[in-house]
Amino acid sequence: VVEAVSGTLRRLPLLLVFLGVPSVVFAHRDDQYLQATLVVIEPRGVRLEINFTPGVAIAEQVVARIDRDRNGEISENEAAAYADSLKRDLTLRIDGRKLELRLAGFEFVPPEELRTGSGIIEMEFSASFGALTPGAHTLALKNRHLTAIGVYLINAVQPRLATIQITSQKRNDNQSSGEIEFTFHPVPLKTDRSAAPK
Amino acid sequence: MNKKILPLLIVLLAASVSSFAQTNSAPGAATAGIVAATNQFLASLDEAQRRKVVFDFKDDAQRRRWSNLPNAIFKRQGLRMGDLTQPQREAVLGILAAAFSSQGYEKVLQIVDADEWLKKSSGETMFGRDEYHVSFLGQPSTSEPWMIQFGGHHLGLNITLVGEQRTLAPSHTGAQPAIYELEGKTVRPLGHETDKAFALLSSLNESQRKLAILGFQMRDLVLGPGRDGQTIQPEGIKGSALSEKQRDMLLDLASEWTGILHEAVAKAKLDEMRKNIAETWFAWSGPTEKGSAAYFRIQGPTVVIEYAPQRLGGDATKHIHTIYRDPTNDYGVKWWKR
Repeated sequence: VVEAVSGTLRRLPLLLVFLGVPSVVFAHRDDQYLQATLVVIEPRGVRLEINFTPGVAIAEQVVARIDRDRNGEISENEAAAYADSLKRDLTLRIDGRKLELRLAGFEFVPPEELRTGSGIIEMEFSASFGALTPGAHTLALKNRHLTAIGVYLINAVQPRLATIQITSQKRNDNQSSGEIEFTFHPVPLKTDRSAAPK
Repeated sequence: MNKKILPLLIVLLAASVSSFAQTNSAPGAATAGIVAATNQFLASLDEAQRRKVVFDFKDDAQRRRWSNLPNAIFKRQGLRMGDLTQPQREAVLGILAAAFSSQGYEKVLQIVDADEWLKKSSGETMFGRDEYHVSFLGQPSTSEPWMIQFGGHHLGLNITLVGEQRTLAPSHTGAQPAIYELEGKTVRPLGHETDKAFALLSSLNESQRKLAILGFQMRDLVLGPGRDGQTIQPEGIKGSALSEKQRDMLLDLASEWTGILHEAVAKAKLDEMRKNIAETWFAWSGPTEKGSAAYFRIQGPTVVIEYAPQRLGGDATKHIHTIYRDPTNDYGVKWWKR
């Protein structure tokens, strides 16, 4: 503690020496709309967990798309309508077959928080692909939502079940689209010895 | 002052400093030092301040209330450094000094100094040393779980302590500017991270680089603040495909995060990483010229580290965000969660 305090005291005069420094541009994600997708692959379907973070400079543009009646609040209907518009901008395919996306949940922070540039809209979509055949599969996702301001991330979540193994991930340069290759190997059902006839 | 007393005081002060240093460096004894430093700070507060700074250990909302953003944008709880007296501020630094290694402590001060630099150069009062917050979850204890949070712009430190076990996961470090002049010296709070990463990359041969370098842009952290409890599929080159020397370089790079904590626990964490080194991945995205703005990730069974220059109109090499996580033990859950 003594060392820390004396070190701090030593630094105090130094910390006052900030004169004549060149100006610096404070930057956070001001004119970009970060759309970060985590892809959760399960034996019978897939979930897309997407976090949207509009930067300060474009937040109003995003808020205007959501808060349609401009009353400063995002109603359930407005949130659902925005989620629906987003759903139309997403394309998800498995082995070339288009999947139907369902809105599984969302959480919107109030518009004033979005305007700060730190507010996050969380959205989750799910899609069922029925029973997978054992072997290799390819899941492809394309995000065309607000491409003029969009900045994208797509990442596969590490599967919790050993039956699914991610073998590779490919993205285009800005990650607005990506392909996840995985294998599905269902575990053979164990024989219930206790129930077996003796 | 009496000339006979002065040498005696100097001897006593030296002895107390030495005694603290010994306590602090002995494995297994540092938690007591951190508890003592925290109690010293808490004793300096009035009742209203204590109510603001100490949260219930079960308060998950507060546990997750940390960010890379300035406080004007992301509202932190606890006590603001600018609202504390000078002795109280020094007591907060004393807690960090007790919890961290000397290089970890220095790194944290340099990140805070960078924000002070940003305040002076931009004129924005939302930046600077006054805008950092301290808070605690639970009561300081050498046996029961508790937590120290210290954060502000580009800093989200979460230290969970359970007896002699401690973790920094999850924590965010960053810097803007990532290079600045102070007292005629060039300061780079995350300079070692940058230099060691480029050294590791340059040690890779052509076939190793093909594995390590991702063919797309990484515009931000994947598992940054707000992404608790997620584990992504690892990418890049696996530790098993690295030479012994390259593995050491990878561990040395990771030690820039694991080594923020006091040596007593940092070594154990690095030993754990060494055990898992064959299953630890290194991925790179962006230019490969030394000093350019490139993203990298280290991911193993018990660690995720990301380093992401921020391409936001300015020089991305001068604005860096990083995250440190332990997918098996963020917030020390394996030690206390039942």
